[in-house]
Amino acid sequence: MLNAVIPLLLDSLASAALIFFAAVGLTLVFSVLRVLNVAHGSLYSIGGYVAASICLFIASRQLNPYWSFLALLFSAVCVAAIFGPLIERGLVRWTYGKSEAVQILITFGLFLILEDLQRVIFGVQSFYEDAPMRLLGTTAIGGVVYLNYQILLIGMALLVVIGLRLLINHTRLGRLITAVVTDREMAQSIGIDTNRIFILAFSLGVFLAALGGALATPTSGIAPGLGADTMVLAFAVAAIGGLGQIEGAALASLIVGLARVLAIYLAPSLDAVAPYAAMLVVLLIRPYGLFGSVAARRI
Amino acid sequence: MASRGISIVVARCLSSLEWLFRLDRGVPQGKARWMVDGLAGALALGVVAATPAAAQEKPAALGLGIFTFTSGPAAAYGMPGKNAADLMIDEINAKGGIGGVPLSATYVDEAQGAQGVIAEYRRLAGNAKNQVMVAALSSANCLALAPLAEQLEVPTVGWNCDTHQLLIDGKSKYVFRPNGNTVPEFVAYAIYLLDRKPDVKTVAIINPDYAFGHDAAKIFIAALKVLKPDVEIVAELYPKLGSPNYQTEISRLATARPDVVFSNLWGADLENFVRQAAPRGIFTSSQVILALGETVLQRVPLPDGVIVGVLGDGWWMSPDAKAKPETVKFAEAYKARFGEYPVFPSIKMANALIYVKAAYDAAMQKNGSKWPTRAELADAMKGSKVETLTGTAQTRADNDGLVDQIVGVTVKTSAQQFPVIGDMVRYKGESLMPQAGQDPLAWIATLKPEFAKGLPKPGSYK
Repeated sequence: MLNAVIPLLLDSLASAALIFFAAVGLTLVFSVLRVLNVAHGSLYSIGGYVAASICLFIASRQLNPYWSFLALLFSAVCVAAIFGPLIERGLVRWTYGKSEAVQILITFGLFLILEDLQRVIFGVQSFYEDAPMRLLGTTAIGGVVYLNYQILLIGMALLVVIGLRLLINHTRLGRLITAVVTDREMAQSIGIDTNRIFILAFSLGVFLAALGGALATPTSGIAPGLGADTMVLAFAVAAIGGLGQIEGAALASLIVGLARVLAIYLAPSLDAVAPYAAMLVVLLIRPYGLFGSVAARRI
Repeated sequence: MASRGISIVVARCLSSLEWLFRLDRGVPQGKARWMVDGLAGALALGVVAATPAAAQEKPAALGLGIFTFTSGPAAAYGMPGKNAADLMIDEINAKGGIGGVPLSATYVDEAQGAQGVIAEYRRLAGNAKNQVMVAALSSANCLALAPLAEQLEVPTVGWNCDTHQLLIDGKSKYVFRPNGNTVPEFVAYAIYLLDRKPDVKTVAIINPDYAFGHDAAKIFIAALKVLKPDVEIVAELYPKLGSPNYQTEISRLATARPDVVFSNLWGADLENFVRQAAPRGIFTSSQVILALGETVLQRVPLPDGVIVGVLGDGWWMSPDAKAKPETVKFAEAYKARFGEYPVFPSIKMANALIYVKAAYDAAMQKNGSKWPTRAELADAMKGSKVETLTGTAQTRADNDGLVDQIVGVTVKTSAQQFPVIGDMVRYKGESLMPQAGQDPLAWIATLKPEFAKGLPKPGSYK
């Protein structure tokens, strides 16, 4: 088992990175808008479909394959620019101030519509485009061959954590977001355009979800059903970390990743339940998650 | 059968009204009896004429309920089946249908889950126009539908249904499987592996986490243990069906360093696994067996030497298949219409429809060219021996099929742009099947290492 320690840790980090993108977007949107967006998983898979489509276009035109890396980012930006304002202004804003049940039902309806739209547009067959994964090659670590792309994913997740911290603590937009999160009414009364903050925060959440889907595409196929799986896992991570907590999402992703990887290495039959068992243990000890609290919320 | 039953019930109910006439003192008892019996007979005849017994007249179209996955990750396996059904039905209809009756299919998506599939089956079976069900792909759905087929007395042909549990009680009257099952399929891989790699010491397994994956592992391990008792299983992984990412499982396989990696992943799962495992060296560090590997040959560049098979004899490029002009024509027509050659689920579906057609032909030959009832059709399937696109489907007394098993390894050839199956062996279906009614795992436990010596060797099927 000792020879498996390094692979186990590396696998946990890689697994956590993939989960983190979806979870952090979900938790950011909840933190600012106070809406639990059930359709978040669909935006993850749409990011994947768009990225795969652009990469396949690049391959079909025999363009420089390294463009596919830019395509991953570009697709996330496109999805965020289109779906962010559209969903927030068109649907989510009608749920502000409504009960959580109404918010969940409305975003669940959106989830179902988006899932069906994906089937209509992209079909039911799986999508694959692994050019970015192949381009980066492999490295042997701890006796196991890893994709360099997996290491890139870990790096990207770290970049997102640092980037979000910098955005919130060291930019004007971040301070405005913090003000809205801390006290929405007070922020409005001192002249902060909360509508604008909501659109930006929601679009940022969509961007993070779509980026997760796009970055996942080269190492895994995209098929109908991915959105639902992602959503469930993202909820588990957000619950463990504490809703609205960015560092909480990062740590929770690590916990879920580690739980799943440990199960695969030590007790494969528990693979599917490991993330939820971890969630159960954490919530029994800290009902509001690792970084969550009842009274004050922060991001 | 049902209409006859209804007629008898109606006649008996009317006869039981005779006591009313006894109250009518104006009518003599003998005449009352005559009147009631006459009325009952007339009504019974009317009921008979109006109910499905009339289906013995040739219908305008023969309705088929065809169950397969048309959405979700399993569609990668299910859609080739549907495509083949479309093509085969068109071909049969172009030749005048069955006994002059054109076929008309209603497709049911198995991705909706067992409850939905059961509801759809009931709905289709309730319509007398649908006389046969070709169901299903998923073993779980097959097991859920089998009791329903018996209850509703609808001939049901398992076009895929791999689980050996389906017909294990030997009592089925309406469920048929003109294919092999998990027992011959996975015993075949153990034999082929040991012939090809007799010094194997360690094996790791990565199968989908449901009945098909667990059953296959159980049978493969049981066969390995009796044929080469010193083989050690170093890892057994069962990722969730429909998993998009296998990176951790691949790391686990790499740390276990097995001589052999066995997998019966299928559909999009298999494609995902191969795409992710190949660059990470799994195919070079271990002998990999992909039991359903033929389905991805045209889609993923598999390296040479991977043991692959077709779960039966459904390889459209096998010597037997290539010797049949209708198979070559079918494969070319499939390629022209769907852009790639048929994979073995396509052939299984096509063979299932050939099996249905053969049963209709046999039933009509038996009953004087009349259109058969569902019961007559089921009778015709019993014990039938049908020439398929790729071999022969022999139906045993327990309605289970005997088909040969083809196994080989991936090789490159100048004839195709994708790897094909070489170094093939074709095991006779009956040689890898327990007797009807015999517990499959108990049968495997009785095998001796000498068992494999009498079987054909890799490369013998040319």
